[in-house]
Order: sequence, then C-alpha cells, then structure tokens
Amino acid sequence: MRAIVCVVASAMVLVLGAAPAVRTQTPAMDARPVLTQYCFTCHNDRLKTGGLSLEALDLAKIGDSPDVWEKVVRRLRTGAMPPPSARRPDQATYDRLTGWLEKELDSHAAAHPNPGRPAVHRLNRAEYANAIRDLLDLDVNVASLLPPDDSAFGFDNVADVLGVSPVLLERYLNAADEISALAVGDPDTSPGSESYHVRHDLSQDQHVEGLPLGTVGGTIVRHNFPLDATYVIQVKLLRTNLNAIRGMEWEQQLEISVDGQRVHLAPIGGRADLLLLGRNPTTGSDEIDTRLQVRVPIKAGPRSVGVTFVQRSPALGTVRLQPYLRSSADTFEQTGRPHVQTVNILGPYEVTGPGDTPSRRRIFTCRPAGARDEACARTILSTLARRAYRRPLAKGEIEPIMAFFEAGRREGTFDTGIQLALQRILATPKFVFRIEQDPTDAAPGAVYRVSDLELASRLSFFLWSSIPDDELLTVASQGRLKNPQVLDQQVRRMLADPRSRALVSNFAGQWLQVRNLRSMAPNSNEFPDFDDNLRQAFRQETEMFFESIMREDRNVVDLLTADYTFLNERLAVHYGIPGVRGDQFRRVTLTDDARKGLLGKGSILLVTSHADRTSPVVRGKWILENLLGTPPPPPPQAVPPLKENEEGNKPLTMRAKMEEHRANPVCASCHKVMDPIGFTLENFDAVGAWRARDAGEPIDASGQFVDGTTVDGVVTLRHALLKRPDVFVRTMTQKMLTYALGRGVEDYDMPAVRAIVRDSSKQDYRFSSLVLGIVNSAPFQMRMKATDAAVVASK
Amino acid sequence: MFITKKHIPRRSFLRGVGATLALPLLDAMVPARTLLAQTAANPQRRLGFVYFPNGAVMDQWIPAQSGSNIQLSPILKCLEPYQKQVVVVGNLARAGTTIGDHAVAAAGWLTGVYAKQTEAQDVLAGVTIDQIVAKQIGQDTPFPSLEVATEDFTGFVGGCTPGFSCAYMDTISWATPTTPLPMEINPRVVFERMFGRPGTAEQRRQRMKRNKSVLDSIADDASALQRDLGARDRARLTEYLEYVREIERRIQRTEAQNSTSVTTIDAPLGIPEVFEEHVALMFDLLAAAYQADITRVFTFMMSREASQRTYPQVDVDEPHHTISHHGNDPEKMARNARINIFHAQQFGKFVEKLHKTPDGDGSLLDHSLVFYGAGMGNGNAHATDPLPLVAVGGGVGTGNRHILPAPRTPVGNLWVDIAHKFGAPIDSLGASTGRLEL
Repeated sequence: MRAIVCVVASAMVLVLGAAPAVRTQTPAMDARPVLTQYCFTCHNDRLKTGGLSLEALDLAKIGDSPDVWEKVVRRLRTGAMPPPSARRPDQATYDRLTGWLEKELDSHAAAHPNPGRPAVHRLNRAEYANAIRDLLDLDVNVASLLPPDDSAFGFDNVADVLGVSPVLLERYLNAADEISALAVGDPDTSPGSESYHVRHDLSQDQHVEGLPLGTVGGTIVRHNFPLDATYVIQVKLLRTNLNAIRGMEWEQQLEISVDGQRVHLAPIGGRADLLLLGRNPTTGSDEIDTRLQVRVPIKAGPRSVGVTFVQRSPALGTVRLQPYLRSSADTFEQTGRPHVQTVNILGPYEVTGPGDTPSRRRIFTCRPAGARDEACARTILSTLARRAYRRPLAKGEIEPIMAFFEAGRREGTFDTGIQLALQRILATPKFVFRIEQDPTDAAPGAVYRVSDLELASRLSFFLWSSIPDDELLTVASQGRLKNPQVLDQQVRRMLADPRSRALVSNFAGQWLQVRNLRSMAPNSNEFPDFDDNLRQAFRQETEMFFESIMREDRNVVDLLTADYTFLNERLAVHYGIPGVRGDQFRRVTLTDDARKGLLGKGSILLVTSHADRTSPVVRGKWILENLLGTPPPPPPQAVPPLKENEEGNKPLTMRAKMEEHRANPVCASCHKVMDPIGFTLENFDAVGAWRARDAGEPIDASGQFVDGTTVDGVVTLRHALLKRPDVFVRTMTQKMLTYALGRGVEDYDMPAVRAIVRDSSKQDYRFSSLVLGIVNSAPFQMRMKATDAAVVASK
Repeated sequence: MFITKKHIPRRSFLRGVGATLALPLLDAMVPARTLLAQTAANPQRRLGFVYFPNGAVMDQWIPAQSGSNIQLSPILKCLEPYQKQVVVVGNLARAGTTIGDHAVAAAGWLTGVYAKQTEAQDVLAGVTIDQIVAKQIGQDTPFPSLEVATEDFTGFVGGCTPGFSCAYMDTISWATPTTPLPMEINPRVVFERMFGRPGTAEQRRQRMKRNKSVLDSIADDASALQRDLGARDRARLTEYLEYVREIERRIQRTEAQNSTSVTTIDAPLGIPEVFEEHVALMFDLLAAAYQADITRVFTFMMSREASQRTYPQVDVDEPHHTISHHGNDPEKMARNARINIFHAQQFGKFVEKLHKTPDGDGSLLDHSLVFYGAGMGNGNAHATDPLPLVAVGGGVGTGNRHILPAPRTPVGNLWVDIAHKFGAPIDSLGASTGRLEL
C-alpha cells in the first residue's frame, strides 16, 4: 500500500511540473527520490505526521527554511528518523542525504551571515561574585547579597532573562555599599551576624578535612572578618525532634578554632548534662549551648573557623549500634554522636582597626602622603575603575568618582574617601552590565566584528565567569587581540589558569545538572544510608571528572567512556568498589564497565530520579536532551498518576508500572523513545547504587536506542551512543555555545556549530579544540547591528 | 528527615543586634492628600495575598451552605474565632485550560490570565492585582509592596512544568505582563530591606543619604550608556533608570518618616531549617511591616507550586505534589487534606497575630483585607475551578458569608472589585468578564 502511495506521490510531483529549479549540481535531484521513499510517506501534506510536512518544500531553497531542515538533520543524525519500525536507507544513503542537507544549510548561512545579537547582559550572581573576587581579592557570600537568577535554555547566564527590577537594583546598591565597606575596612561597621548551617543529613562520624587530626565531625567554615575586633562565635548542636541535644551520654569536648588555633574548649555531655536534658530538654539544651560560645579578638581577613569534637579513644566507643551509614539517621535517637548544627559569628565589637586584609592590599597600591593626597587617590581609583569597567577610562571619566572620594574624605579619612568612591564604582551600570555598542558608521542589520575590548570581556566571562585580568585587558587595549596567534595564546593561557574552574562549576554544573544536587532529598526511609557526605561526594566526583577532561585536554567523548573516576572512601563504598580508604579524593581506575563515564556517575543518576524511586522517563529525557540534543516535546494535559503497589497484590517493577505508557497510543508516541533508554539504567537505583533486583524481580534492563539498536543495559547503551560520537560532540558544543554567548543557540547558528565539530574532529575532539572553535566562530566574534537602531543624539 | 512530632524548636534570634522599629505617628505624618488620610480606621487600608500550592481537597474546603451564618469547613476551621471577618468565595475559575498545570496556576491567580506557553525568555502573563493596588496606596510607604516566599528552586535547571518557563512558578506577583517580581525567601534579607542593616538610626540615615547620591550619579552613567544601542537594549536601560528613580523616591519617603522609636524587633539570623519556623518568621515580618507602615501590600507564596515537601508533622510522608495526585483514593485524599489543614493553620496564626496587634481604634486585622487561596482547585486534576479562596479581615465588610457567584466566574472579576475598593479602578483584569463584589 505504501509503495503505491510513494510511486503515485512522486509521479504526481513530476506530472504537476513542480520540478525544483534545476541547479548546476546534481544533489538536488538525488535527494528527492530518497526523501520520497523514506520520508514523504508520513511527512506529507495530508498526514502531517508529527506536525511536519516536507513534501511541498522547495528542495532548491533548503537554506530558506532552516527551522524545518535543521530539525530534520538532527533527527537523521541520531538515527531517530525514519523510526526503527519503518523502512530505512542504508548508512551510505543516510550520510549522503544529511551531508547534502547540511551543505545546503551551511552555504546559505555563509551567504547570509547572522551572528546574532546577545542582549545587554547583567552580571549574574556567579559572575558578580567572581568579579568582586578578582577586583578586590574578596570572597563575598553572594547568595545573601543578590536574589537568585532566572535561567533559560538550561543556563543562568542568558542575557535576556537576566532582567532588572527595583528589588534587584536595590540589592546591587546595597551590595555595593556592603562590599565597599568590607573591602576597605570601614571602622564604623556595626555588629552583624553570619550563620553557617550544617545540613541535618551530614554524617559527622569521621574526621573532616581541614580540621585537626584527632577530631571527629563538626564543620569548618571560611568567614570574612571585616575588621580587627572582638567577635563572638556561637555553636548550636543538633537536637532530636524532642528538642534534646543528641549524643550527651558521655563526656565530650567541643573545640572551636580559628585558622587552626584553638580559641575555646568546652566540656559537654556526661551524667550532669543528661540529667539536665531529662528535666527539660529545651531549656537544658539551650543551657548546654551557652557553654559553646566564646568572645575572642580576631584580626581582619578571611579565616577558617573550625568547630569539632575531640576524638575519644575508640575503647570509649559511644556508638554501640549504628545500623545506617548516616550518623544522624534516627531523629528520635538521643544517644550516639553529637553533631554540630549551626555556627554563628557575631561582630565586630570593640573595633581596633581596619587590619591588614588581602582586599586592602589589593586596593591600596599606594599610601597617601597626607590626607589630601589626590594623586594617590587618583591612581587607586583609576586602576579599580579600569578593571571594573573592563576598558580604559575616557577623558574625564574619573571625575565623578573623584567627587565621591572628596565627599568621603571630607566626612572622614582618606580611606573613607576611597570607600565611598569604590561604592560608586560598584554601583554603576558600567560595572553591573556588559554592554556592547554598535559602531555608529555601520548600517542597521550589518554584521561587524566586536571590538577587542568587547571580545576580551566575552572571553573572560566565557572561560572564567569573571572580568578580564590585567594582561588580557592590556592586550585588548593595544588592539592585539585581533591577531589569531595572540588570541589563541590568550585562550590557552586562560584555560590553564585556575580561574577556568568556573567552567566546571557553571558550565558543567548546569549542563550536567550537578547544581541540582543540593535540592535532591532521597526519601530517608527508602535510602537510610544516604547522607550529605554522599551528596557532596557525588558533586565532587563529577566536577573532578569534568575538570580532568578539561585540564588534560582529553577527547571530550571520554566523558562517556573514560575508565577512571575520582573517589573517596564513602563514594567507593556506595559504588561497591573495594580498596579505597580515607576522606580525600583520588583518581581510581575503573574495572567495572558499567561505571565508566557520565552514565555511571552518582550525581547524574540521582538528579534523574525521584525521592523514592528511579524514573526511566526522566533519565531517558535527560539523555535525549543533554547527550543527543533532541529533547522530547512536552506531555499532554491530564496525565494520570502511576499505578501504585496495591495491597495484597504482588509489587510491580518499574517496568511493569510503566506498561501504561506503551498500552496507551497517545502516550506511546513519545514514551516509546524515552522509556526504553531509561530502562537500560534500571540497574542503578534512585541514589546511583547498583542493584540486581527491583520489587523482588531481577532487573530487566533491556531497551532500545533512538535508532532502533537493541540494548540491554548501561554498557550497550553507551556503545549505541558511541556509534555516532559526533552527535554527542555536537550537543556539547551547542550547550557550550549557549553558555559562551549568553543566548539560546538558534537554527541560524547550526552551521557554525557544525563547523566547530568538523574542525574539532580533526583534532580528536580535544576539549581545547571545542573552546577554540567557539572562540573563533562568527557568533562569538561578530555581532549584527540592530535593525531598528536609531541614532540617539548624544546630549 | 526531621520528624517534629512533639516540639517545634525555638527560633533563634540575635539578641541585642536588632533594629529600632519605627512606628509612625499617624496623624502627624500621613500626607494630607492621600486617599486614606481621612480615616486611620479605614478598613481598606491594607491588602495581602497568601498562596498555597497544589490545590486542595475541595470537598473539605467548600462550606456546605452558602449565604450568611455559615459553618466553616474542616480546612478553614482554624479561622472560626475570626468568623465575623471571614468571607469564603466560591465558583471562581482561573483562565485557560489545565495545560501548563502548576505554572499557569501560579501565574494565573493574581493576574486572571492564562500565561503564555514558552520555556524561553519571552514569558508573558499579566499585571497582578497587588501591584495595581500598590501603585495606588503604596506610594507613601517605603515599600509599595513586599513579595516573599519560602522555597527557593530558582537555581533548579530543567525542573518545571514542561513547556513552561520556571519563571512562572518562581513568583505570584508581576509588575508588568513581562516582568515577574522576585520573591525573597531569606527572612534576614527581608528584615534588612525593611529596617536596613543593623546600626543606629544615625548610621542608617547616613547610609541612606549616601545611597541617594550614588543613585543620582549612576543615573547619569545609565543615560550616557544608552547611545548607540538597539531599541531593545535601550529599553532595558530605560527600565533601569526608572527603577533608579523609584528607589530614590523610596529613600525620600523613608527619610520623611520622622518617627519616634517604640519597639525593638530582633534581627533573624537567616533561613530557619524548619518549615513552620520559616513560615512563622515571614508572617511575623509581614505583620511588623503592616504595623510600622513599611508596606500596605504584600504577597506571600507560602510554598511553591509542585512542591515536593513532606509533612511528617501531620503524618504525611509522601511529597506534597505526589500526594496531591491522589487518584481519588480516600486514604490519600485524607493525607492531602491534612496538609491543606496544616497550611491553613499557619495562615490562621498570622490572622491571630493581626487580630492581637492594636492599630488606631481597632486591630491590624480590622484594617486589613488578606486573601488566602490557590491557583488550582482539585490538585489531582490540576483543576481550573473551583478555586479555593477565602478573604479575612475588616476589609471584607460583612463577614461570616459564603459567596457563590455563577459557576466558572473568572477570578479576575473579584480582583476588579478589589481594585475599585482600594481606589484604583480598572475595567478588567486578564480574562475577567465583569465585577464580582466581595
């Protein structure tokens, strides 16, 4: 039946004389029979399968409909189309067709360049914090200063969604005020407080790295002491839900230390304290906590504050029975170990001076000869402003800043003047926004190369999520960044620089959704062993793994195949890998095939699960979206809930529960693609541990890849993915380009993406080749002038 | 999991490092020209909206009878002591279909619109009623309005209603159809916004003066930057400039409040670990804001749409969102209802606080109108109607009523009435078809 329709359709095309405009090349003629045979049967005007009809499109003008053909190319490249159930061409025909389509799209793009136009870009939280760090050598708690950012396309540095509102503006103003006071050391700083919380599900039965050997549990926090002054450090211990402090059975000692020096040792626990708690848990606990505070003079600057318990001899073991790895598992349990819950740092009191902090050293590059030393102030402020604005200052641009310096100096001292001027620098939109200005002499809609200084900012925010450093600024100011060798050298330098860790926290953190880990809270009845130590370990492992690919400039496909990972003891125990001891992370060679690469990483397996069970659907969707670049469409309305395990009936496996997805044809169209991928990962439970059974039955991890390949577990799934490594590289490139540009990657960008992947394949898909490919691409180096750009007469 | 069956841990406050709470002397300071200058006891003085997610078990929400002298339903039972100032409004519907479920519920409650389906930056909803009223009655207070919430998932990548941007679920308050307003979840930040950083009054005045001059100066910067920008970028900077002016006005208003300090409020240390504490702290701050006339309009998103929070304190171990899809199983509906009751009780404590706080010739409650409700009805079906909604406070006029307009009355109809009542009359809001009088 189908064959007849095909023949009739193609015959009709010829008869109706709708012959495509004949070009000098033959490919246009080659494509039509292929498309007719394999595609038009469903994607025709009558059926419009999947909402798509191809048959009426002019094959001589592929470039005119990139929105349609890019989608087609994507599906063809992953082998998802034609669907596995339909007739499909051989690999050679696939390649010829996709090659031809891509060539058409690429040549159209070359003839009509469109590098896009990122919007005015407000610094997001991470960028702001890094900018402050690089400008003032000051680490600020940006989460308490600025509201969270909205994200789009999976990233929070997309310019269009980084909006402004009065609240936001207020927060930036406030931040400028607080940061300038902190950086300079404002002696008028009134006492405030900072709270550091320890998650309840953190196990505190091991030594914590950074704390002295011979201690157990507790926490270590890095706190910025604003001035040389007296501070109060208060500790609150974890209580049971009857509000009694845990672990008071035996006498213990709690130690508070600053930069490794002990400042307080408090006895807790023992018979007297137990009696206290017995009489009244709440007041008793509060009374015990009052012993855990100390008032101590501390010098200004960033310091480590450690709160921990002195380890008692193992012979005096306090924990007789701990059935779960999580040391605070039972919330009624009053025995066991004490845990630190909160550390509050209050102050400054009795200020003695601004101290000698890294930020003061960074700011005061000269000391004034007298209070009126304007020259010194000018030097200090010009340096700061140049770095903050990311460009040389225009003539007279420093004057408004100097006015603030004058005002501050009159009110107080030289330092006060610098502080006020710094506040002014941090508050201006010139710092908070990244603005690229169109050249006045270009026509609207014209494509132009961004200036060296603008390119420098794009580079530093891409690779460091921060402002350019002095070297990059200088090279750019001298106009040398245009030189391809210089650009190449700068990019490599920046990648090697420790600041490129931002790519791990921000790019990988969002692409691989490592950031979502902090919101994941597995049901503690189902997974009593899961604790925050494991959550942190998941994050550490994936970040270190990604960083190794980056720093060792490996083939990015190694992200899927690498036979090593980074483990500490807790994580190794979780994965069932023997022979790893101790808290610190180290590189471990993996012998178990199933654990290799991203698909075996606990972080990814956890963020794609629900609190109490795995979700093959979410996992399938994650792979489609983040590894293959072909996300499924959204679900329809009124999706009924999953069948629960009913009383009296045999419990259902996950696969059985999802039968509905296949039985119901409305659901099947998408789920037959998503679910089979997710099922192959069923051997990994909701917290990433390996399991052989689910609901009493052995796990059936058989499934199907998008191109129809039968797979039976994570290893074969990986092999199926690796059949087309360029698809993975292309998806990663797309994600990285989004991140680098700060805007969504559009259809007209795909030719650039393809070019990057092609060039990268000649260099073994090394990480640096992807980065350099992006940096050298048109969307990164060029911009389109606004078509509606009216010339605003300058006042 | 922290199971607090017996005891709620004490709140931790920072002793002695608070701020002086300034209570304005009403007769001296209220500018003569405002609508509300005449009567301090005008019931339409304050407005508030408290939101809960995932709908409710409606047969436990809707009172059996309509009209007056009603019997409160199980979920609303906690409001019994204030029944004379309670009006339950039924038969309301949000606009559009159930597609977009949680996203359009949150975005549709106070806008009366059916939000646009998009995952990208071109989000589109509508102006919310709180902002319309804030423009009218909020101009004399340091903050025209306050937006607060308790759960922060804005860093969560890819976890919202499919097809709809996370921005729709991050807030219930919109300044313009394209500007969602961020909601603050950290009580300490709310405190500092309201009362400034800890310090003496003199220090705070100095800081304000400085901020004002900084603002003036950077406004010049912003204007200069607008050259050679495309229309869209220029518009963004223009917006920025407007906000600069807005904040300058706010500072001026605060400076103008020449007031004597009356009570002290302690500064919260941060975000409490326990949900009830967090909610109670937010409510305390809102009550303080009302009392000190720091704002007269607030929106509080008590919990986020599709929230997966568990409530072991009322014996519900499943996540809220999961249990809200009860499939009409009576056992599960009972658990769902327990969460609804628990949330209502938190709100009830706020009502009690407003009732106990004197204000002029009555209490804060007498001079307020606070709405408590959700953007969806039956959570299992993400139902667009009937929406659960109750109004509390002197602003309801005659209380102890259950209003039942025609089925599927657009919720915007009620907001149109509210706008009128607060002196900011509008013809329509979102998909409204008329005016439903409270």
